[in-house]
Amino acid sequence: MIENRLTKKILNILLGNGADFSEIFIQKRVFNNIRLEDSKIENSSSGYELGCGLRLWVGDSTFYAYVDSLEEGKLLNAAKVLSSAINGSNSLKVLDLTETKSSYGTDIKKFPDQIQPADKKNILELIDRSSRDFSPAIIQVTSTLSDAEEEIYIANSYGAFSFEKMVKTFLAVNVVAKKGKEIRTGYKSLARSSGYEAFDFKRPGDLAREASGIAVNMLDAVGAPAGELPVVIGPAFGGVIFHEACGHGLEADAVLKNASVFKDKVGKKIASDIVTAIDDSTLEYRWGSYKFDGEGFPSSRTVLIKDGILQNYIYDLRTSKKLGAKQTGNGRRQSFRNVPLARMSNTFIDGGDENPDSIIKSVNKGIYAREFAGGQVDPATGDFVFGISEGYLIENGKISFPIKDTTIIGNGPDVLKRIEAVGNNLDFAPGFCGKNDQLISNEVGQPTIKVDKITVGGIKD
Amino acid sequence: MQDHKKYKIRDSKLISICKDAAFRINKHKVDEFEVFAASSVENEIEIFKEKIETLSFSDSIGVGIRIFKDRSIGYAYTTVLEESSIEDCIRKAVSNCKITSREDYNYLPREEEFVFKQKLIDDRSLYREDFLEYDIESKVELAKKLEILTKSKDARIVDIDNVIYHDSIYETAILNSAGFCDKYKTTTCLIYVSAISKKEGDTSTGDFFGCGRTPADLDLEEVAQKAASRSVSILGGEKIKSQRADLLLDQVVSAQLLGIIAGSITADSVQKRKSLFEGKIGQKIFSIDVNIFDDGTIPDGLSSRPFDGEGVIKGKTCVFEKGYLKTYLYNTYTARKDKTRSTGNAVRASYRSTPEVGISNFYMEPSDIDFSKLLGDIDRGFYIIDIIGLHSGVNPISGQMSMGAKGIWIENGSLKQPVKEVTIATDILSFCKSIKKVGNDLKFIPVGGYVGSPSLLVRDITISGK
Repeated sequence: MIENRLTKKILNILLGNGADFSEIFIQKRVFNNIRLEDSKIENSSSGYELGCGLRLWVGDSTFYAYVDSLEEGKLLNAAKVLSSAINGSNSLKVLDLTETKSSYGTDIKKFPDQIQPADKKNILELIDRSSRDFSPAIIQVTSTLSDAEEEIYIANSYGAFSFEKMVKTFLAVNVVAKKGKEIRTGYKSLARSSGYEAFDFKRPGDLAREASGIAVNMLDAVGAPAGELPVVIGPAFGGVIFHEACGHGLEADAVLKNASVFKDKVGKKIASDIVTAIDDSTLEYRWGSYKFDGEGFPSSRTVLIKDGILQNYIYDLRTSKKLGAKQTGNGRRQSFRNVPLARMSNTFIDGGDENPDSIIKSVNKGIYAREFAGGQVDPATGDFVFGISEGYLIENGKISFPIKDTTIIGNGPDVLKRIEAVGNNLDFAPGFCGKNDQLISNEVGQPTIKVDKITVGGIKD
Repeated sequence: MQDHKKYKIRDSKLISICKDAAFRINKHKVDEFEVFAASSVENEIEIFKEKIETLSFSDSIGVGIRIFKDRSIGYAYTTVLEESSIEDCIRKAVSNCKITSREDYNYLPREEEFVFKQKLIDDRSLYREDFLEYDIESKVELAKKLEILTKSKDARIVDIDNVIYHDSIYETAILNSAGFCDKYKTTTCLIYVSAISKKEGDTSTGDFFGCGRTPADLDLEEVAQKAASRSVSILGGEKIKSQRADLLLDQVVSAQLLGIIAGSITADSVQKRKSLFEGKIGQKIFSIDVNIFDDGTIPDGLSSRPFDGEGVIKGKTCVFEKGYLKTYLYNTYTARKDKTRSTGNAVRASYRSTPEVGISNFYMEPSDIDFSKLLGDIDRGFYIIDIIGLHSGVNPISGQMSMGAKGIWIENGSLKQPVKEVTIATDILSFCKSIKKVGNDLKFIPVGGYVGSPSLLVRDITISGK
C-alpha cells in the first residue's frame, strides 16, 4: 500500500530518538450498511476510510499516533512528531523487510462490490417477510446488512511486514413480538469473514425464523426463579459465558496488571477435568478469524485449558515480551486509530462426550439457558453476570416453561470447577467484543454444558 | 519530553470543506443535501505504576453527505478529503438513495419549523481557551497524581489497574441546501481510575471518574476518594439470601438506569413500537413528583450544544413533569410524523452516521433531601454502589430488568455488612413506580449523552442471592 522505501524511512524516523521498537499499520476500509425497519429500507450508507497508525516503544511505555491519510509528507511529519516525544537510549535501524507468511487463506467468492444494491435490499425484505409470516404476533422487524472490504499492511522494526485483504459480511435480525400487554424480543445474527457466500452457509429466511421463534416462544414466559440452581447452558452462543467470565481473565494484559484471577495459575487445575478450551483464529471464514493479527503476526490455535489444567494465556506482542512468553497472534485492534491489545479471536469450550438430551434429563429442577443478551465480567475478581434472553425451566429432566429475561450471576473460576457435563454438540456464534473502547469481531462457542449451581436472578422463589 | 501543545484549531476550515462539497454536489441532480463535517484532536494517557503505559495522539477529520432525492435519503462518508474521494462519496450517497424508501417527511428542516430562532447557549461555555494551556506533560502529571492519590486513600488498596486521562477538542459544522450553515467547537476532558483492594483472600474493584471542559475542572481528590471507597467498602462482601427489600441507589447507578429509560422516550422508538412509553403521554409514570429534563443549554453540561445533528436549535425540554409523561424527544422526521415540532434531539455519533434521535443532557431534578435522610428512612434494605450487566440485564423493549449488584446491607437506617454476587429484578414501569424518594445530590455521568440523577430510594424490590 506504500513503498518499501517509505516504510523503512518512517520506521527509522520512529526509532530515531532511541526507541526500542517501531511499527506502521495501514488500513483501507470500504464499508456499506443498509437497515430495514417498519418494513422499509430506512438507511443506506457507505463509508471510505484510509489511514495509518504509528507506534513506538521506549521502556515500558507505548507512544501512538495516527493520520487519516497516506500522503508521504503527512506520514513523515507524524512520525517526526511522535518520535520527538521520547528520549530513549537505543540505536536501532531497519535495513530490510521480509514478508511474513500465514497458513490461513480464504477464497472469497462473492465480493460485496459485485452485489447489486437491489439484491441487498431483497435480502432485508426477505428477512422482514419471513419474520412477519412466522407469526402475526411479530409487530416489528429491524434488520441490518453490512459488508466491509479491507486492506491491511503492517511493518515493524524487526524487519517484518504483512499484507492482508479481508472481506466481512454481517446480517442481524431483531424482532419484537406482542401479545396483550406482553412484549418480547428475539435476536439472531450471521457474520462471516467472507463475501456474500455467507448466505449459502446460512439462509437469511432461517435466521429470521429463528429470531422470531425466540420472541414468540418467550411471550408465554413465566417469572424466572430466584436463588441457586443447576443451569444447563446451550450450545453456540452459550460460549459467551466462557468468553466473558474466563477468556478476559486469560488476556495477558489483565495478568500483567495483577487484574486477573488466573495470574500464576499456568500448569494448575482451574476447571473440572472434562473442560478443554481453545482460542483459534484459523477457523475458516469464522467471524473472529484472520490471516494476520493487528501486529502482523500469523493467526494460530492456542490451547488455553486442557483437561482442566491452565496451559496458556492470550498474548499480544507487548504482553508476551513483558511476561517472557511467545506471542499467540492475538494482538488485535479496531482500526488504525487504536493500539493493539491482547484479545480473543474464536474462543470456545471444546466438545465432550455427552449427549445433550441426557444432560437435560439429568436435571431435576433447574434452568436451561439457550440464548444470552450478553454479559459483563470483572477480570480482577472473576465475578460475572449474564442476561438470559431465551431460557426455560427444567422440571424432572424435561424442558417445561419459558422464563422471562433474567440474569445469572457468579464467579468465573468457581463456575469452571462446577462444570459437571460437557456435550458432544460443539457449535459457534458470532458477536462483537468491547474492551478499552475498541470493538472487534469474535466468535464464541461451546457444546451444551451443565453447571451444578449458579445464582439465578428471577422474581419467584 | 518536548512540548506537544500542537493543537490545530480548524475553525473556518470545516465550513470551507462543507462549501467545497456543496459546490460539487450542486453539479449532481439532487433535490436537497446536507454536508456534515467534524474533526477531533484527542490525547489519551494511560499510567501504570507511575509510568506512562500508553500515550496516544489522534487527529481525525471526516465528512458525511446526506442526499435527498425524490423523498429518499442516501448517505456516505469519507475520511479522505481529496477531490476524487469527495466526488466518490457524493456518488455513493446519490446511489444509496435508490434503494431507501420514499417518505413524505424526508426533507430538510425548514426555518418555519424551528421552535427557537436564536441560539440559547453561548458557544464560549462549550470551548475553554485555558484548555490549550495544558501541555502533555502536565496531563501526564495529573494522571500520575491520581494514581498515587487513590492508592494513598486506603491501605487495603493493592493495585491501581487503570488510570486513564482523555481529552479532546471537537469541532463540527453543518451546511445544508435549505440555508443552514453554522459550526461550534467543544473541549472536554475525562479522568478515570480503577482500584483493586484485597483483604483476607477477597478481592474487590472500584472505579470512579471526573470530567469537565478543562483539566482544571477535574477534582482529583474526589475521584480518588470515591474510587477507593467504592473498592474497599465492598471488600469481604457475601451473598445474602433471596428476599424482597428496599433499595438505596447510588447516583451513578441511578444515572445508569435513567440512561436506559432515556432510550425509550425517543419518538423513534415509540413510533416503531419499541417503547414501553407508547401511548402513555399524559399518564403518571412515577409515583411521586419526579421531574426529568433534556436540556442542551446547561453551561457545564458536556452534551450541551447550540444546535443538533441536523441544525435545529437546541433548548430545554421537560420530559416528565410531576411524574407525568409530557413529551417524547424528537428530531425533524419523527416530529413531522407526530405533527409536532422537533425538540432538537437529532444526534450524530460522528460523521459516520446519519442523525438519529437521542438525548443531550438528560437528568432528574434533585430534591432537598440529604443522602443521610434517605438512608435513615430504610429499616431493611440494600445500598447499591455498583450494578453489573446493565446492558444485558435490562431489555428496554420488553421492560424486564435483572442485573447484578454490589453494595452494603442496610439495617435500621445504618450501613452494615458488604454484599456481592446478588441480582435485583423488576421491570422498568414498576421500577419507576417504586421510586419513593429523590435525593439532593445530582451527579452526571457521560454515557451516550450526559445523564444525571440524584440518589434514589426504591421500595420493595426482589433481590436474588442464596
